[in-house]
Amino acid sequence: MEMKIENMSFEEAVSKLEEIVKELENENISLESSMEKFELGVKLSSSCLKKLKEAEKKIEELTKSKDGKLITKELHLEEK
Amino acid sequence: MQDIEVSKTKIYSVSELNFNIRKNLETNYFDVWVEGEVSNYYFHNRRNMYFDLKDEHSKIKIVMFYENNKNLLFEIEDGLHVIVNGYVSVYEKRGEYQLVAVDAKPVGKGALILAFEQLKAKLEKKGYFDKTYKKSIPAIPQKIGVITSIGGAVLKDIVSVLRKRFNNFHLVVRNVNVQGPTSSSEVCEALDDLCEYGVNVIIIARGGGSLEDLWAFNTEQLADRIFKCPVPVISAVGHETDFTISDFVADSRAATPSVAAEIVIINKAETLKNLKKITKKLKDLSSNKIFQYRKELNYLINRRIFTKPETILLSFWQNLDEVHLKLGSIIQKVVEERRRKLAECTQLINKRDILKKLSICKITTENDFLRIFSNFKNSLNLKENKIRLILKGLQDRNPISILGRGFAIVYKADKDETIKSIDKAKIGQNIRIMLKDGVLLSKILNKYYRRMDIEYGNEN
Repeated sequence: MEMKIENMSFEEAVSKLEEIVKELENENISLESSMEKFELGVKLSSSCLKKLKEAEKKIEELTKSKDGKLITKELHLEEK
Repeated sequence: MQDIEVSKTKIYSVSELNFNIRKNLETNYFDVWVEGEVSNYYFHNRRNMYFDLKDEHSKIKIVMFYENNKNLLFEIEDGLHVIVNGYVSVYEKRGEYQLVAVDAKPVGKGALILAFEQLKAKLEKKGYFDKTYKKSIPAIPQKIGVITSIGGAVLKDIVSVLRKRFNNFHLVVRNVNVQGPTSSSEVCEALDDLCEYGVNVIIIARGGGSLEDLWAFNTEQLADRIFKCPVPVISAVGHETDFTISDFVADSRAATPSVAAEIVIINKAETLKNLKKITKKLKDLSSNKIFQYRKELNYLINRRIFTKPETILLSFWQNLDEVHLKLGSIIQKVVEERRRKLAECTQLINKRDILKKLSICKITTENDFLRIFSNFKNSLNLKENKIRLILKGLQDRNPISILGRGFAIVYKADKDETIKSIDKAKIGQNIRIMLKDGVLLSKILNKYYRRMDIEYGNEN
């Protein structure tokens, strides 16, 4: 059932985080498991934050050379 | 008479006649338009089309060869109402005349609209539009592929929306003609190339236009390629009101290219806000939990059992006392009961009672028994007297009776050995002193050798 956080997609991590919050809202949760959930929640939260920041900013054009190889070159667009 | 007439007239061979008729028809009906309903449609090897065109009273055979039907946008099908353009000819082998169609148009609606409807119905039947096949768009795609014309405003629109939503996006653009005969194939190839290069989502984008302009996005070829594309595809062709086949097949349809940019990536600022909100909630909830548990723990710690455990013991003591008391009284009762019974029994076996019973027996029993009994009684008396004498002697010699007169016997404390001489006693030794009614446990403090007469003398 448990999936590694690094392998989770952003939306999977967010929905897991929401699930944890919902579980913590439940009165009957034990202290031990609530501490566990809290720890996991903090990890998920920082992983999501990282994913939001890590994508690189780039605009490229993909073309094909005569021998069928794919090449990319940076594309400059004037800002509107 | 017949012979003469025949000889005067020209006799044709069958081929000759058919050839002449064909030439005649092809000359006189070289460009005709005919309207009717299609029936008996047959597409031979998907090359040449054969069908009948009919109205209420009549029908005509139609053939449409590959070079003419290959550009037909819509599909001929039975029941379709069409106008066919062509020339009338004869299939000489069978002597059948037919119309050779060079073009056909649907009646009532445009060919493009009909073609669109036909393809849509076909693909729908194949399940190409089923929701179950729709792939979800990743929230933060690391690489976004865009298939469009680089020159147009579309790419600028997409980029400008993306910049507002998520500043650090990575776009991979594939330039294609979005219009014209090669357009559809170019888009197909671009899909393959982007998949090969490795992107997480692909946007197919084009600005608005007429149905003809957008035709590249209504082909079965492109629909096939989008359906089989392993990467999720967003179709953003035309304006809100324009629908293309690619819109239906794609995993997501965006009304405009700008909308596609909104679908393709989450709003970073909004997401960050939500993430922070949920993280704060997580922390609040956890600290609430801990606070709550601490409160419960404090309550427990302050309970009497932990603060004054002895008070709990006190009540136990009290209980114990009560039980003790009860037990004592019960035992006493039992003992009394037993004692009473014992007394009864003792009374029963009282010697006199027995004698009484025996005297009764004496009367009722034989003389022999009487004699034996009196002998027995005599010997018993004799024995009793003897025992009494022995007991008397014993009593006289019993050291205990001497103790009654103030004498004492000294024993070693640990064994039944008397100390008869001061020589046998050691200072510090524990001794037992037996008096007439009990024993004294003592320790020898000191010892003095004295002569009896001197002692007496001193005393006197």
